Amino acid sequence: MKKFIISVLGKDRPGIIAAVTQLLFQQDFNIEDVSQTILQNEFSGIFIVTGPDGSDPQNVCHALENATVDLKLHIHVKAMDAAPFQWTSASCEPFVITTRGPDRKGLVAQITAVLAAHNVNVTQLQAVFRGGADPERNVMIYEVDIPADSDLSKLRTALKTKAAELNLEVNLQHKNIFEAINRI
Amino acid sequence: MLSNSEILSVLEMLRNEHLDLRTVTLGISLLDCASDDLKRFTDKIYDRIVSKAERLVALCNAAEERYGIPVVNKRVSVSPIAVAAAPFSSDQMVSVAQALDRAAAAVQVDFIGGFSALVEKGIASGDRALIEALPQALATTRRVCASINVASTRAGINMDAILLLGRQIKAAAALTADHDGLACAKLCVFANIPQDVPFMAGAYLGVGEADAVINVGVSGPGVVKKAIDRALAENAHLDLRQISELIKRTAYKVTRAGELIGRDVAEGLGVTFGVVDLSLAPTPHVGDSVGEIFQSLGLRGIGVPGSTAALALINDAVKKGGAFASSNVGGLSGAFIPVSEDLNISAAAREGLLSIEKLEALTSVCSVGLDMVAIPGDTTAETLSGIIADEMAIGVINRKTTATRIIPVPGKKAGEYAFFGGLLGESVIMPVNNAQGENLFVRRGGLIPSPIHSLTN
Repeated sequence: MKKFIISVLGKDRPGIIAAVTQLLFQQDFNIEDVSQTILQNEFSGIFIVTGPDGSDPQNVCHALENATVDLKLHIHVKAMDAAPFQWTSASCEPFVITTRGPDRKGLVAQITAVLAAHNVNVTQLQAVFRGGADPERNVMIYEVDIPADSDLSKLRTALKTKAAELNLEVNLQHKNIFEAINRI
Repeated sequence: MLSNSEILSVLEMLRNEHLDLRTVTLGISLLDCASDDLKRFTDKIYDRIVSKAERLVALCNAAEERYGIPVVNKRVSVSPIAVAAAPFSSDQMVSVAQALDRAAAAVQVDFIGGFSALVEKGIASGDRALIEALPQALATTRRVCASINVASTRAGINMDAILLLGRQIKAAAALTADHDGLACAKLCVFANIPQDVPFMAGAYLGVGEADAVINVGVSGPGVVKKAIDRALAENAHLDLRQISELIKRTAYKVTRAGELIGRDVAEGLGVTFGVVDLSLAPTPHVGDSVGEIFQSLGLRGIGVPGSTAALALINDAVKKGGAFASSNVGGLSGAFIPVSEDLNISAAAREGLLSIEKLEALTSVCSVGLDMVAIPGDTTAETLSGIIADEMAIGVINRKTTATRIIPVPGKKAGEYAFFGGLLGESVIMPVNNAQGENLFVRRGGLIPSPIHSLTN
């Protein structure tokens, strides 16, 4: 069996997932993981699938494009390594970073530059910028993995310094606190 | 994956609603430090406290940083000193209090509780020495807190102890007259004292507890008030059942935060996690007040008719939410109404909405009792004993904890102000009514027997 990752982009409408998965089913592919999201009416989906040994990425991509021609989708298919990639050998702890503050260009770039410099991996990012100075309308929420060997207080200081430059309020908190407070 | 609203609601509780962990209190047993040699005993308790608690503040600070929730106070409670230091005289008890004070300073905690005696049924020699030492011990130390349990539902009310304490409270006030009788703010008189209260001044480590235990006190009156305000802004016609449900849910959230952090600190110290005490405990800051909740519920202020019912609702909903959130809920768990420590309650007293008599009624449905109540300095010891006895009776008959922390402010009259500073706040001095003449009743002494448990009405 071969493993592929497929990304699908396009205008959101009924039938995108149905068309993609129908073709995969017909060609004897098995879906291992799927995730989809919609941002401002744009659909984005990622599928991890396994399929017959004879299949190759280009063929799969063409078949998907042909099957979804009416939906005008952008499809990309890539073969995946069998061995999972690990970006750190240290164990990680999940934290949540939140920022609030007036919108301007480069906020995500500058915050994530700090995270990258401290070897912190973003696992979920939700950012909503509706413009203007109202901090409630400009929020970034990063769920991140922080390796156990990182210096948490250095990261915190660097984030605070950067946030102050950007006129943002920033918080770095262990994910457990949100789960403890909100979930039974 | 967390939802946006889950994350943003927690941030809101922290930013605008004063969600914090009010206290992490490390209980330390001193019972095996027993000795009849004063120096040996004080050296041992000092070493025990310092070795057990030296990492407490650092671990609390680390948990504060990790979870982004302030841990406002770090404290230590110890075994009741009247038991641990039973062989000593009252002068020697003062030295013990001073050793506790030094140990508390060494581990950087703001208060150490447990200069305590349990005398609900009788006064042993160690108890008497401790009670006699109270004025001097509290006046010559900064951090030591004392509590005396004078009554329980099982034993009754020890009127001899109450008479004695009325006099000691007056003496303690006199020794700290320059600071409006501050020593009395560090002394609680209890009925049915729990063994695991983390809040001062009543914290001590019960003799039924382990060698070392972490108990946490979570607060959050601001969180409850804002939750009510928000819900009423969305629907102005919420009824009281719906509001009770809302308070319950909010109390659940606050308790969960406290337990998470408490367990972290306990694990870091390698000691047992004891209880979360979910008490709505105010501080003298706007937005961190129990009194403001009464106004959100629609009352003009705490003390007006309807206040006792409102407090019963709040207290019960808080307990229900807390009990669902954790199997380790203990301590007092309910709502505190300390007059000087709550700007809004203090204002209600100043405006005449709240009298001592109404406060006493309120204490029949909430945690603790007449707490941080400043009264005129010329109140007699016997009148003080009478007030204490009344409060104890409410606890004993209703099978609940009640307490008094009353400050007869030397040289000041009703309507004047007392200033205690810091978390202890400030308050108008409340008049004590019907206090003229002798009080032969409290002078009779003896034990008011424990109440019958059937024929309840």
